Amino acid sequence: MCIIDVHTHPVCFREGRSRAAVDALVARGRALGIERMVALGDVLAFSRSQTAAQVALINDETALLLRWHPDYFVGFCYLNPTLGERAVGREVARAVGRGFRGLKLEIANNARAACMRPVMAAAEVHGLVVLQHAWSMTKIKQRAFHTDPEDVATLARRFPNVRIIMAHLTGCGVRGVLAAKSCENLWVDTSGAAPETGLMEYAVEKLGAGRVLYGSDLPVRDLPVAIARVTGSALDAATQRKILRDNARALLQLP
Amino acid sequence: MTLFDANTWIGRWPFAFLPAHDARSLVEHLHRHGIRRALVSPLDAVFAPEPGPANRALLRATRGIAALVPVPVINLALANWREELAACAADPRVIAVRVLPNYHNYRLTSRVADELVGELQRRRRRLIVQVRLVDERHEYFALRIKGVPTKAMGTFLARHPQLPVLAMGMYRPEIRELLPRHPRLLADLSLAEWERTVADLLARVSPRQLVFGSHTPFLITAAEVAKLTAAGVPARVATRIATGNLQRFLGE
Repeated sequence: MCIIDVHTHPVCFREGRSRAAVDALVARGRALGIERMVALGDVLAFSRSQTAAQVALINDETALLLRWHPDYFVGFCYLNPTLGERAVGREVARAVGRGFRGLKLEIANNARAACMRPVMAAAEVHGLVVLQHAWSMTKIKQRAFHTDPEDVATLARRFPNVRIIMAHLTGCGVRGVLAAKSCENLWVDTSGAAPETGLMEYAVEKLGAGRVLYGSDLPVRDLPVAIARVTGSALDAATQRKILRDNARALLQLP
Repeated sequence: MTLFDANTWIGRWPFAFLPAHDARSLVEHLHRHGIRRALVSPLDAVFAPEPGPANRALLRATRGIAALVPVPVINLALANWREELAACAADPRVIAVRVLPNYHNYRLTSRVADELVGELQRRRRRLIVQVRLVDERHEYFALRIKGVPTKAMGTFLARHPQLPVLAMGMYRPEIRELLPRHPRLLADLSLAEWERTVADLLARVSPRQLVFGSHTPFLITAAEVAKLTAAGVPARVATRIATGNLQRFLGE
């Protein structure tokens, strides 16, 4: 089994930063068939809205992972869009120079906010994939800074030339899948909450096998459990292979 | 690894695209995942005006199916709960009953919960507390059902320190907080998760207090099985969690 995990936080809440911890994670991933991990950074390390210095530190840590294991980790650059166009531009330039392949947005702002414009412009210019945190806000009354699947769909429609991953299939649920359906530049990753029965099959039915990507949300989730969301679904082997690896490989242009 | 599943359901759940298992289809499904026995409760008892009909249907449906141990639901908010308990306990296969305080509008700290404990001890039956059925963030928009508060669980357990209780659907932080303080409390693994879930919990919790629970059909059974079978903990510990602790809880 060959797997690309598009949603990991090898460093999370300041844990996992040592070389030994990272080496152990890579060994565990390889033992489970995970050939590449997209490292998204310690995105809630200090607060939901990090300072420029904190953003830089988070991305420095991701860059260190890439230096230690260049053939294993794929770097995504964490951004706080509320810091403004200049700060975003500076951090994206550093990321591009480091070979990062995407941008990660968390809960500093809602994805509909105007501050997303320079982020998406930079993504388009540099061909970067945007991974946007998302969760159904029906029960979470934090939409001012949290992003609902409908907001990701709005973002995708506003920026049709940017490829976007909507995080957390389980958190977005059926409503999220339906929101994403009409946006051809929008993928969804399989992470989020406990492994609810039926959602994987529903996502493939509505979005097609090509727009679902395996993601674990490590370490918030258990890797064998996350993998079995796909392998334990009713989907056929060819579809599972697309979700576990092929779709991410094509999207991220990995060898 | 032989698995004895503490947490399965038959019937229909209206808020998600889950398979509506009957007793036979559930057994077939569980066997495909290496689960040889399971405690099973009726989903129809969760929102019904009273759980009696669903309990009766459960007892009928599981008759002659040794792989399923029926666990009726008791609703303590209703005046007939003692009669319902007596009716269920008349079936010798009923070793435990399940309560869902937050679905049935009473508190675990209320007097009636203490009265249930007395009745169960008199009848030598076990108590299972369903802390939650689903992640509260994903409840149907018109429902407002939170998990049983950790504080209420703690208060109830402190009142009954010798009572074995099995809690279903606790999150990782709740397990890590409650189980070390209450050695007679057991918890299923279904809604607890972190990288290396089992090893992570065992850093704080005795291996005698964890039980395997797939929470079928709510969760992907294969994923919940993987949580234990791929945990990488010593075989002796895994076996306890897979079967031994639940058997001990049931007095087998």
